Amino acid sequence: MQIIYTDVLVIGGGLAGQRAAIGAKRRGHDTIVLSLVPAKRSHSAAAQGGMQASLANCLGGAGDNEDIHFQDTVRGSDWGADQEVVRMFTHAAPKAIRELAAWGVPWSRVERGDHEITVDGEKQTISENEAAHGLITGRNFGGTQKWRACYVSDGTGHAMLYTMSNRAIAEGIPVHERMEAVALIHDEGRCSGAIVRNLMTGEILAYVAKATCIATGGFGRIYRASTNAIINEGMGAAIALETGRATLSNMEAVQFHPTGIFPSGILVTEGCRGDGGLLLDANGHRFMPDYEPKKKELASRDVVSRRMEQHIAAGQGVKSRFGEHLWLDIRLLGREHIDRNLREVKEICQYFLGIDPAKELIPVRPAQHYSMGGVRTNPNGESQGLRGLFAVGEAACWDIHGFNRLGGNSVAETVVAGMIVGESIADFCDSADGSINVSTALVEKFARKQTQQLANFTLASGTENAFDLTRQMQETMTSKVGIFRHGDQLQEAVNTLQNLLLRSRNINLRSATRGPNPELVAAYRLPRMLKLAQCVALGALQRTESRGAHYRDDYPQRNDLEWMQRTLAVWSEAKDELPTLSYEPLSIMRMELPPGWRGYGAKDYIEHPESALRRQEIDRIIATMPDADRHAHQAALMPFLDKLPPHLRPLNQRLSKF
Amino acid sequence: MNRKLNLWPARLDLLQSLSGLALVVFVWCHMFFESSILLGKDAMLWVTKMFEGEHFFGEPYPLLVSAIAGIIFLLVALHAILALRKFPSSYRQYHRFHLHMNGLHHSDTTLWYLQVITGFLLFFLASTHLYTVLVQPDNIGPYASSDRIWSGRFWIMYALLLLSAHLHAGAGAYRLAMKWGPASLTGSKAARHKLKTAMWCIIGFFLILGAASLATYMKLGYDHRDHIGERYMPSSHQVQQE
Amino acid sequence: MNNIPLAEEHRMLQIQILRHNPSALLCDSDKGSHLQTFEVEEALGMTLFIALNEIREEQDPSLQFDFVCRAGICGSCGMIINGRPGLACRTLTKDLPDVIVLAPLPGFELIGDLSVNTGKWMRGMSEHLETWVHNQELEEINIDVIEERMEPRLAEQIYELERCIECGCCIAACGTTQMREEFVGAAGLNQIARFRLDPRDKRSDADYYELIGNDAGVFGCMTLLGCEDMCPKNLPLATQIAFLRRRMAMTTG
Ligand SMILES: Cc1cc2nc3c(=O)[nH]c(=O)nc-3n(C[C@H](O)[C@H](O)[C@H](O)COP(=O)(O)OP(=O)(O)OC[C@H]3O[C@@H](n4cnc5c(N)ncnc54)[C@H](O)[C@@H]3O)c2cc1C
Ligand code: HEM
Ligand code: SF4
Ligand code: SF4
Ligand code: FES
Repeated sequence: MQIIYTDVLVIGGGLAGQRAAIGAKRRGHDTIVLSLVPAKRSHSAAAQGGMQASLANCLGGAGDNEDIHFQDTVRGSDWGADQEVVRMFTHAAPKAIRELAAWGVPWSRVERGDHEITVDGEKQTISENEAAHGLITGRNFGGTQKWRACYVSDGTGHAMLYTMSNRAIAEGIPVHERMEAVALIHDEGRCSGAIVRNLMTGEILAYVAKATCIATGGFGRIYRASTNAIINEGMGAAIALETGRATLSNMEAVQFHPTGIFPSGILVTEGCRGDGGLLLDANGHRFMPDYEPKKKELASRDVVSRRMEQHIAAGQGVKSRFGEHLWLDIRLLGREHIDRNLREVKEICQYFLGIDPAKELIPVRPAQHYSMGGVRTNPNGESQGLRGLFAVGEAACWDIHGFNRLGGNSVAETVVAGMIVGESIADFCDSADGSINVSTALVEKFARKQTQQLANFTLASGTENAFDLTRQMQETMTSKVGIFRHGDQLQEAVNTLQNLLLRSRNINLRSATRGPNPELVAAYRLPRMLKLAQCVALGALQRTESRGAHYRDDYPQRNDLEWMQRTLAVWSEAKDELPTLSYEPLSIMRMELPPGWRGYGAKDYIEHPESALRRQEIDRIIATMPDADRHAHQAALMPFLDKLPPHLRPLNQRLSKF
Repeated sequence: MNRKLNLWPARLDLLQSLSGLALVVFVWCHMFFESSILLGKDAMLWVTKMFEGEHFFGEPYPLLVSAIAGIIFLLVALHAILALRKFPSSYRQYHRFHLHMNGLHHSDTTLWYLQVITGFLLFFLASTHLYTVLVQPDNIGPYASSDRIWSGRFWIMYALLLLSAHLHAGAGAYRLAMKWGPASLTGSKAARHKLKTAMWCIIGFFLILGAASLATYMKLGYDHRDHIGERYMPSSHQVQQE
Repeated sequence: MNNIPLAEEHRMLQIQILRHNPSALLCDSDKGSHLQTFEVEEALGMTLFIALNEIREEQDPSLQFDFVCRAGICGSCGMIINGRPGLACRTLTKDLPDVIVLAPLPGFELIGDLSVNTGKWMRGMSEHLETWVHNQELEEINIDVIEERMEPRLAEQIYELERCIECGCCIAACGTTQMREEFVGAAGLNQIARFRLDPRDKRSDADYYELIGNDAGVFGCMTLLGCEDMCPKNLPLATQIAFLRRRMAMTTG
C-alpha cells in the first residue's frame, strides 16, 4: 500500500478547504488537498446569492459595520451561535472579501448615479454616491438590516471558487482529485491522517499528516429532496464521527428552502414569490391565505416551507411518478417581467423542466438546503475530541449559524474560517504538539480495516440493495425529520434508521467490479450516512423546543430556559446503534447580545432569567463608558480580538465612519 | 525585459491569411476578366490585350501575363505550404477528424474539411492552369482559349477548378473574417449568420458567372472546332477587311 | 386549471451507451468498448441525469458517469449526446428522439463509460497558462483598507469570461484539439483573454505571447467555431480568440 507523507492534509477542495490549505502552505507547510471531484466542481460553485461582509459601500449598505452584521447573525441563529466566533467572523469578513478582490474575483461594483429598484412591487429610484463608484457593491438579503451580500452577477460562488482554486494552483498546492477519505487514522486521541480510496481505480492508500482538516461540505443528501450537489453526502463529518472521539454538534439544525423545483430540488429564487408569484395545490387552489391570512406566500422561509408540507400531508399535493409536489405560478407576472427580472428562473425552467414559466406552472416542493451542524470545533477550528483534527466550512460546526444561517453567511464563513483555521493549523504544526510518531503498523491496521470492509461487500451473500436502502433513508429523513417535526414521527424515524443501519450490514452487490464501482461506493457510504442521519433524527427527537430551522409542532416555542444548549454527538463504539448525545451549555452571562425576540417570526418564547440579568449588566457597563466608541464598548462586553491571528486584528477601513 | 520571443508562428499565421486573402481577391477579379466573354469576343480580346500591356505600350508583351501567372503561382505555392501545416498529418489525425466531423454535424467544421479537400484539389488544378498560362502566355484569346477548352478537353479541368476555387475562396473569405475579427467583433450570432449567407451568395454568384462563361467558351470552341489554331480578329478589323 | 397534466402517457426511450472500462482490464474480464442499449420509460421533466441514475439503480449498477451539481453549474457532466457535446444534467429527454446515443467526451482521458478526466486536463491547462492574477505586490496587499476600485462595466466584462465551467464541451467540439493534443483549446484561450482583460494581472502581451503565441496556442486555432457553437455557457469564444489573435500577431516582444 502506498503511504503519502505530508505536513497538512486537507480533506475537501471547496472554498473552505482550499483557503485553509493556502494559509498553511504559505506558512511553509507541505499541504495536500483531497477531493471527490476536481476542486472547481465542488459545491461552493453553486452559491449564487452572495457573500456577506459589512463593507458599507453601496447606498443600501450605508452605515453598516461589524456590529450590525454581528447582530443580524446572532438573531438569525436564534441565539444558537457562539457569539465570540460570530465576532471573529464579522470582523474578518471584510478582509476576506478584499483579499479575494486582490486575487481576482470580479465582484460587482457600485455604479454612481440613479438606479431603479423594486420594493414591495413598487418602483423606486435610488442614487449611488460618487465616492463609492467602483467599490464592491452589495445586495439585500433576508434577515439582514443592510445591503451586505457582495456578489458577482449571478455566479458568486463560481467566481470565488475559481479564483481560490487558481490561487491554490499558483501556490503549488496539489489537489488529489477523485480521492475519497474513508477513515481517519488516529490513536490515543491524536489524529494523524486518513485512509483514502482512489475512486478511479478502487485502490486504498494512506496519507499521514501532522494536521488533518475536514472541509467536506454539507450532508444534504441524507434527504431525498435537497438543493445540494449529489456529492454532498457528509462523508467528512461521518468519518470524524466514526473515530468515536471527535464530536459533531447541532446536527438537528437543518435548513430548508421552500422552492426547490420538483423532483430535482434545484433552487429557484425567492424573488418569484417576492414579485407576486402564487403557490397552488393539486386543484389549482391558492392555499397559503388559508394558513397565513396576513403574509400569505410571503411569510418567512421556514413558515412557508412548513405550510407547504402541511398541505401536502393533508392530501392536496399534485401526484406524479416521482412523488407529490405543489405548483408555483408566476404566469400572472407576465412575460415581460419574467424575461427582465427573473431570467435565471426562466432558464432553469427551460433547461430542467422544459416549460415556459410565462405560460406554465412550475412544480416545487421544499427541499433541504444547508446543514448548520457538523464537526464541533473550538474557535481555532480544532476538533474538541481529537487532537490534530481540524474542520472548516459547512462540514464544521464552528458555530456562527446556530440554528439558522443567514443567506450569504456561509460562503463568507468558508473563506473567513479558512483564513483563521489555515493559520491555526500552521501554528499547530509549528508547535511541539505538531510532531507525530506514527508507526506503519498503525496505518496498516486502519487500512486493513477498510480493505476488509470493502471486501466484505463484494464477498458477502447479503440480500439488501444499497440503492434501495439509501432511498429509504432519504425518504424517511424528508418525510419524518423534515420541516415539521413531531415526537412520534421522530421516534419512528429513529427506529427506521436503526433498522436500516442493521440492514446496511447485509448489502449484496450486483456488480463485483473492484475498480470504480458506483454500487460499491453507495454501499460503503450508506452506513456512514445513516449514522449522520441518526444524529440528526435523535438530536431532533431529544430537543423538545423549536429554535431556528428546528421546528417541533409538539413544542412550538423556543425554550431558553432548558435549551440554551448545543447538542454534541459521538459514536462511541463501532457496534453502537445510536449516537451518544450530550449537551454543552451556552453561557448567557458571557453573551454580547443576550437572547430576545429576533425581530421577526414568533414572539412567544420561554425566557431564561439570565437574559434580563445580562441585559442589565450590559446597560450598566455601557453607562460607565460615556465617551468610548463602539469598539471600546464591544471590547468591554465580550473581548475577542486575541482569538484572531495577529494579522487579522486591525480595524477595517470604510468610506465613512458611523 | 529582454526576452526573445519566437515571432515566427505569428508571422506564418499572418502570411497564411494574407496569401489567402490575396488569392481570394485575385480569383474574384479573375472571374470578371474571364467572364468578359459573355459580353462578346471583342470584350474578351480587349481584356487579354490589356494584360499583355497593349493598351499602355502600343504593342503586346505576353511575358507580362507570364509574370502575373508566375507571381500567382508563387502565392499559391506559399499559401499551400503554409496551409499544409494544418492538414491532418497522419492517418490517426485524419481518422479522428473524420469521426469528429461525422458525429458533430456542424456546418463550420464541415466547411473547413471542404476547404482542405478543395485546397488539395486546387494544388493540382490551379498549378496545371497556371502552368499553361505561364508557358503559353500568347495563347490566350477568344478562339485560342475556346479551342483549348473544347477541342483540348480542358473544360473538365476548368469545371472542377471553378467549383473548388470558389468553394475554397468563399469559405476562406468567411473564415478570414471570423478568424481575425471584423465579423466576430460584435460577437453576435446574427452577424455571423449574415456573413455566412453572404458567403453562400457570393459563391453562388461566381459559380453561375463562371459556369456561364465556361459554357460560352465551350460553345465557341465547338463552333470553331474545324479551325483550330486560327486567331480571333477584332470585329473592327473584320469590318475593314470586307 | 385545465393545463395541469394528470394522466401521463410516456415514450419508451432507447438509451445506447458506449461502455468501456479501461481499469477493469486489469482485474475483470473486459469486453472492450461496445454500445449497450437500455430501455427507460420517459417521465415528465426527465433529464439525462434522471434517466442515467435510473439505469444505474435499476438496471446496471456498474455504469459510470459524473454528476455533481445536477444544475448546469459545475461542468462535470459533459458528454456526447447524439453526436454533439453537451451537459447531460440539463438535457431534457423530451428534446431528444426515441433513440439516444451517449458517448464520453473525446480528447480526455477515459475513466470509464461516460466518465472522463476533464479535471486533470483543466488543471494541466491552468498550470501551463498560469491562470491566476500575476502581481508582484500581491504578497503585500493590505486587506484592512478599502479595496481598489474597478469600473462596474469592466467587472461585468471580466465576469462574462469568468463564466467558463471547464466542462470540456469546447474541447470535444473542436476539430483542432481532436487532431492535436497539445492545443490549449478555446477554454484555455478564453482564460488568457480573461486575465488579459483584468487590470489586476500585470502581465504584458509579450508574457501572454510566450504562453499562447504558437501553434499549440492561438495560432493553432483553425476557426472551426465548434467551441463557440457548443459552449453550454454561450461564452463569446470566437470574439475572444479573434481578439487574441490580433493582439498576439501585433506583439513584437
Ligand atoms: C443551491 C445553493 C445555493 C447556495 N447559495 C449560497 C449563497 O448565495 N450564499 C452563501 O453564503 N451560501 C450559499 N450556499 C451555501 C454554500 O454554498 C456552502 O455552504 C459552501 O459553499 C460550502 O463550502 P465548503 O467549502 O464547506 O464545501 P464544498 O464546497 O461543498 O466542498 C466540499 C469538498 O469536499 C470534498 N469532499 C467531500 N467528501 C470528501 C471525502 N470523503 N474525501 C475527500 N474529499 C471530500 C468535495 O469533493 C469538495 O471538494 C448555497 C448552497 C446551495 C446548495
Ligand atoms: C494550392 C492550392 C491551395 C491549397 C493546398 C490550399 C489549402 C488551404 C487550406 C488547407 C486552408 C485552411 C487553412 C486553415 O484553416 O488555417 C486554406 C485556407 C485558405 N485558402 Fe487556400 N489553398 C489553396 C489555394 C487557394 C487559393 C487559390 C485561394 C484563393 C482563392 C485560397 C484562399 C484561401 C483562404 C482565404 C484561406 C483562409 C486563410 C486562413 O485561414 O488563414 N487558397 N487553404
Ligand atoms: S468555454 Fe464553454 S465549453 Fe469550454 S469549458 Fe468553458 S464552459 Fe465549457
Ligand atoms: S474556433 Fe475552432 S479551432 Fe478554434 S478553438 Fe474553437 S473549435 Fe477549436
Ligand atoms: S452536473 Fe454539474 S453541470 Fe451537469
